Amino acid sequence: MADFIFWIIWALIVASAALVAFGNNLIHSVFALMGTFLGVAGIYIFLNADFLAVTQIVVYVGGILVLLVFGIMLTNKISSAQISQSSVQKWLGLIVVLGVLTIILTAVLPHDWVGSITPMAFNETVAGIGKLLFTEYLILFEIASVLLLGALIGAATLARKEL
Amino acid sequence: MQEHYGIALAFGAVAFLLMYMGFIIQKLIAPNNKTELKMDTYECGEEPEGDGWLQFNIRFYVVALIFIIFDIEVVFLFLWAVVFKELGFLTFVEVFVFMAILIVGLAYAWVKGDLDWVKMKLKYGTGRYSAARLHEAETK
Amino acid sequence: MNLNQIMTDLSYFIPEMMLTVILLMVIVFDLFQKAETSIRAGYLALGGLALVTLSLVGQDVSTPTGIFSNMLAVDGFGRYIKLVVTIGAMLVMWMSFNSNELKERRVGEYYVLILTLVLGMFFLASATHLLSIYIALEMVSIMSYLLSGYLKEQMRSNEASIKYVVFGAFSSGILLYGFSLLYGLTGSADIVEIQAALAAGTISPALMLLILVLVLVGFGYKIAAVPFHFWTPDVYEGAPAPITAFLSVAPKAAGFAIIIRFFNVAFSNAGNPNLEAWTALENMNWQAVIGVLSVLSMTVGNVVALQQTNIKRMLAYSSIAHAGYMLLGVVVADQTGIAAILYYAAIYMLMNLGAFFVAIHIKNAFDTEDIEDYQSLGYKAPVLGVLMAIFMFSLTGLPPTGGFVAKFYLFRALIEYGDQYFWLALIGLVNGVISLYYYMRVVKAMYFGKMELPGSVHNAPLNVTILLVILALPLLFGWMIGDPLSAYAQDAVQFFIK
Repeated sequence: MADFIFWIIWALIVASAALVAFGNNLIHSVFALMGTFLGVAGIYIFLNADFLAVTQIVVYVGGILVLLVFGIMLTNKISSAQISQSSVQKWLGLIVVLGVLTIILTAVLPHDWVGSITPMAFNETVAGIGKLLFTEYLILFEIASVLLLGALIGAATLARKEL
Repeated sequence: MQEHYGIALAFGAVAFLLMYMGFIIQKLIAPNNKTELKMDTYECGEEPEGDGWLQFNIRFYVVALIFIIFDIEVVFLFLWAVVFKELGFLTFVEVFVFMAILIVGLAYAWVKGDLDWVKMKLKYGTGRYSAARLHEAETK
Repeated sequence: MNLNQIMTDLSYFIPEMMLTVILLMVIVFDLFQKAETSIRAGYLALGGLALVTLSLVGQDVSTPTGIFSNMLAVDGFGRYIKLVVTIGAMLVMWMSFNSNELKERRVGEYYVLILTLVLGMFFLASATHLLSIYIALEMVSIMSYLLSGYLKEQMRSNEASIKYVVFGAFSSGILLYGFSLLYGLTGSADIVEIQAALAAGTISPALMLLILVLVLVGFGYKIAAVPFHFWTPDVYEGAPAPITAFLSVAPKAAGFAIIIRFFNVAFSNAGNPNLEAWTALENMNWQAVIGVLSVLSMTVGNVVALQQTNIKRMLAYSSIAHAGYMLLGVVVADQTGIAAILYYAAIYMLMNLGAFFVAIHIKNAFDTEDIEDYQSLGYKAPVLGVLMAIFMFSLTGLPPTGGFVAKFYLFRALIEYGDQYFWLALIGLVNGVISLYYYMRVVKAMYFGKMELPGSVHNAPLNVTILLVILALPLLFGWMIGDPLSAYAQDAVQFFIK
């Protein structure tokens, strides 16, 4: 059953990612992106990362996707301009992608990634992440606030009409 | 633990089905007779003019941006809530610093008027809400 | 981590804390300013940076230390880069006060963003953990995107910003893929522990090469090395000119800092903090890869710069070439090589900022960025002409300027390292000759050819002249007084290794 669900999620991610990349309507692409985000959240659950899965849904599906939709709807002259994308040089792109994929796979696949690692029991991770965040990774947590502050101010400045 | 995900998944699946059931049943039993007029956008009986697209106000965008920043902040606070009892007062200070830095950002957005829904500036208005009158009122 | 540990760590963290507090103060101060007076926020930021510089100079780095569970390192190397970055930021702020592009708009945010960018570069210069490296890199990148789009009513500035975002997002995605492979292979995100795991030599060379390439893409775009340079000309042309000057200097120095630290700590058998018995990992020949990048950057940068007619674009390509020269030092990567890069970074900051500042002032005064229009500038504005000539001579690397000394140290390190990199030094010298042509074109336009002698002489405002003289003097006379910078750079080669 779990395997079956995994492959369904896998199919969801790949199919909606393909829709994002090849769809001609930008709005449809954005909604297809939701499938990818949700699917990735599912993968996180399979990786025993429950907190990440929830964060993925809260931040990406709940926030970033909405921002993307706004971004499209806010675009000037939306009625006259074609809200679409088109792919150019599909064959060249395919060749490059396959080439890069081959290189990466030949390098990555021969390595014994599992090694001596034993699978961990399924457990909740929130408390563990919280503990690490406030002790070992404390400074990164604080730096993140300055980064968010700078991004907030910069974004608000650029989005405002006045000079 | 694992079975909880199963429950959540089943819940989601049922919700999804219920939502689409209407469409599917409608598709199956409703008569299918499409005319050009029927397929047009319904606009209170009037013939629709122009495109259904409309440009949102840019203000939505700034609000959405600010929302995302504080969305991420809440994710961090969630972690804090879970471990606060265990780690004690020190984390309170740590989170306080984090919040203090971000609240400067909130103050910034507030003072600059990015959170105001209506910016009180009417360029060509006359009478009570003319730009000159408003300016007068502001400076008082 | 208990309170005492945090307190000890914080005592090593004073410059960064000061910078954060100043950053917040500038934001709050700017809230009370009208658009016309928002330049005061800039004065406050400049004063704050001066204090930060003082605290950096006073920082004790005699024993390299890791702080906050070894997320960051406090060592001589990091401090040197931080000094270059803050001094560069101060000079750029000074010039920003005089830039016409920034007149008649709110500039409070501009200085806030510069301060945040500086803070990001501080972290980048001292990051020793994959997570802190990534957060610092994003901080630097995001602030750079925002600043290059600051002239939001101009299409060019918007174009610069969006191009920078697209390239930046792409390369940081690739970098993350490299990091994930590293973490998956070694089970640690601390670069010292990564080194220990990689040194065991159980990983196939193909996989090591893949990781090397992925990581290089991420770092290479920050220093604008070929072939990750495509964003450079458009961003440099569209961004506000002082920001272009800043981007060509400070993030480049910080990018080199992380390349040097990452490669010398994670990908080598570093024996001790001073890199005395230093060798690269056996199954990863990154010196050759960086050598190739260096040759590409120098050649492409110089050859394309030959054809430019816009001074900002010309300087953009020349900055790619200079990244190539500095990469020569990374190839050597022992004590002398790194000291040479550090020396070069400081000198390059002075001469490149100088050239950009003259260009900014000429744009202010004569409203042109075309090299053609520099015609007879040497007579129209004699002081500016002489200063520009000094910066051009120095960028070319002609004696007796600082640019020559910096190049000399680099090539000496390369030749002393051994015969196998002699060809690199040769290519570097050939490139120096190529660059002579386009730098001298500016000088030629200013002094030779059809001259029209002007009736009146243009003089830059006093504070601009002072700023330019401050930049030019060390270039001319630095080496005469025993070259204290070189000794300082030598001392700074000292890394935190657990």
